[in-house]
Amino acid sequence: MSFDGFKTLIKEGDTVILYLTIHQVYAVTAESKTLSKKGTLVDNVFQTPYGALKCGDLINKEYGSKINLSKGWGYILQPTPELWTLTLPHRTQIIYTPDASMIVLQLELSPGNIVIECGTGSGSLSHALIRSIKPHGHLYTFDFHENRVNIAQREFNSHGLSKYVTVQQRDVCADGFGTELEKKADAVFLDLPHPWLAIPHAAKCIKDTGGRICSFSPCIEQVQKACLKLKDVGFQELQTVEVLQTQYSVQTKSLSVLNLEFLKSPKLDNGSVKNEKESSRTLTAAPPVQQPGHTGFLTFATLPPIWARNIRITLDECNNAEMDE
Amino acid sequence: MSHTIKPGDYVIVQRQRYTKLYKVKPKGNLTLGYFIIEIDKVIGEPYETIFQMKPKQDSKKLYSLEKVEQLTTISQLNIESSGKDNRNITDDGTSQSLTKEEIIKLKDESLSSADIVGKLINNSKTFSSKTEYSQEKYMKKKEKKYFEYVQFRKPTLRLLVQMYYRQEPAKILGLRIDDVSQILTYGNVQAGGNFILYDSGTSGLMTASILNSIGANTEGCLIHMHPGNECQKNAVLALQFPQEQLDRCINVNLYSVLRCFYQNEDSYCENDNQTKELDCDEKTETTESKIETAGNKRKLSSDNSEMPPPKKACWQYDNEKACKILTNKVDGLIITCKEHPVNIFKELVSFLKGSRTFVVFHLMREPLEELYVHLKTTLEFISLRLSNNFMRNYQVLPDRTHPEVNMSSGGYILTGFKLS
Ligand SMILES: C[S@@+](CC[C@H](N)C(=O)[O-])C[C@H]1O[C@@H](n2cnc3c(N)ncnc32)[C@H](O)[C@@H]1O
Repeated sequence: MSFDGFKTLIKEGDTVILYLTIHQVYAVTAESKTLSKKGTLVDNVFQTPYGALKCGDLINKEYGSKINLSKGWGYILQPTPELWTLTLPHRTQIIYTPDASMIVLQLELSPGNIVIECGTGSGSLSHALIRSIKPHGHLYTFDFHENRVNIAQREFNSHGLSKYVTVQQRDVCADGFGTELEKKADAVFLDLPHPWLAIPHAAKCIKDTGGRICSFSPCIEQVQKACLKLKDVGFQELQTVEVLQTQYSVQTKSLSVLNLEFLKSPKLDNGSVKNEKESSRTLTAAPPVQQPGHTGFLTFATLPPIWARNIRITLDECNNAEMDE
Repeated sequence: MSHTIKPGDYVIVQRQRYTKLYKVKPKGNLTLGYFIIEIDKVIGEPYETIFQMKPKQDSKKLYSLEKVEQLTTISQLNIESSGKDNRNITDDGTSQSLTKEEIIKLKDESLSSADIVGKLINNSKTFSSKTEYSQEKYMKKKEKKYFEYVQFRKPTLRLLVQMYYRQEPAKILGLRIDDVSQILTYGNVQAGGNFILYDSGTSGLMTASILNSIGANTEGCLIHMHPGNECQKNAVLALQFPQEQLDRCINVNLYSVLRCFYQNEDSYCENDNQTKELDCDEKTETTESKIETAGNKRKLSSDNSEMPPPKKACWQYDNEKACKILTNKVDGLIITCKEHPVNIFKELVSFLKGSRTFVVFHLMREPLEELYVHLKTTLEFISLRLSNNFMRNYQVLPDRTHPEVNMSSGGYILTGFKLS
């Protein structure tokens, strides 16, 4: 239940983030027993490179405190959508935090909004969406894959988020989002291989007062098709963007400094001059040797309020060609 | 929220890609680049309505507005012939046979931009031999110049961030949209938490962003600490939050609130009986905060005993309100500053609860590197990450999709968690 609001103490059943190092972060459940593969109750023990953690011991500990492992220690944190994105069990490709952040801002989400998402996938983005719209907003998330729907539902339940989200199994390209959601949504998010098939359905779900849409696609051909369809069904203000984050490693480097002055004068008798070996310390931030160079293109667009929909040409459309050649 | 434009509303005026924030006044005039526009026709119309600018007979540059249901744009122009490539085109400045005066006259005759572009094309010797692409480019360039439609939009956080960044990044400390988006996520800003923001001046954009994420009719509070006499709040006003939500944003001077916290404990600790905040004296605000600002100017306030203190000033109530929250500590700390962040951070992080996040934004990387080293040595923080973003926009058009030619570089973000 540990995703809903800010908490101090770990309660039984909470998902807890176990932080060892920046690259060793895990999600565990604060329960003393767990079901084994054979279906019998066994001790819930989590193995780390620094030894074992008895997960039952987490109960009633304070979030943010240090926890002993059999061969070292770690820290326990209350999960955030960002920590969950780092630690969740992958069922699909997922949306990472830099893209998720952009999506939330560009979809203009704030508490109280109604949002539609498809597909649910591994629920990475869903957690960020829910945080932005609770307590009185709601997320409707769809996937046509039965197992993913079930796992996502289970996770939302155990994270204490189920009151903010409805998970449904559905092929939205074929069947749309259902009549109950027509004209209900402030925003729609699509992460689908064929977004253009869902876009006409998405347009129907947006409120009469207007709303935003985002489509995430790894390939530029998908973007092109999606953009044509978006314009076709009346979306305006199209914008396609990509965001890549570089994380730096901050380090103090020691650089040796060569002394060349002494070469200009004859050697002193004792010969001690050239032995001076100096070094200078430099604080620097080094980017990783390799990092993701592409996640996906984010295409955003606006469906204007109903009274402004008949004017099809956007005032800002003229911007695009200005930079050609 | 109402959908029609009223006097007093903030609107975002858009002409093509250009946007500007404007406060609607009855009988007001709006300056938009070359144009001066009479605004009264907009009042009572719904947001997003499109208006055409019509030149007024008597005076140059003054335009009135007329609501339109249909746009005439260059895409409706019928282009008959175009060349295969540009091998025969030389631009010697004589290709346009209309004179400057004639063009200005066209404009004053209240012709639409499409008409003007049409006339320009008909009088151009080279247009028909240009390639289709450069014809389109030419027309868009010309249309841009003569485009006569404007739209009045309801301000949203997204539109504001983009507008400020395009107009003058320095006024918002160089915060780009991706920076704002990540500050809000890494700050874990949400309804139902208390947050501290120290902001050395983003025209109110950071305050507005956080308030927007805290939401209306929720529990969350923001303590906004600023270094100046008065806080910048342009963007906050623009978003027109309900009063209830604005009341949960406490604007305090950094020096003044910390002095209150450490030296004036009685004022906020025990009795809650003096919570008549509405009854405070607005006018004294600037006097005291002037004294408090800009670091070194020493105060003459406390020994200033000839003034009888019958009413507390608003800023005193705000300080006390903020201090009450600070005693219980907060759920997130956000710093967007142009000063060196280390001392500010050291001071403010003591009000952050364990297992909570902080975000420090700076346009320069080096101060954040130094902060990082400091945080490492204290052993009180984990998951420290220093990052920045590569962001670029794409032009997506059939057969002409490519990254936009210009791009910018954003700032740097340091985030982490505090241990208990
Ligand atoms: C890449 S995943 C989404 C990941 C998700 N955004 C996240 O952050 O975890 C795409 C999902 O879309 C689902 N999907 C694909 N086509 C669909 C359709 N027509 N209707 C519903 N779901 C679909 C797939 O089952 C898959 O789980």
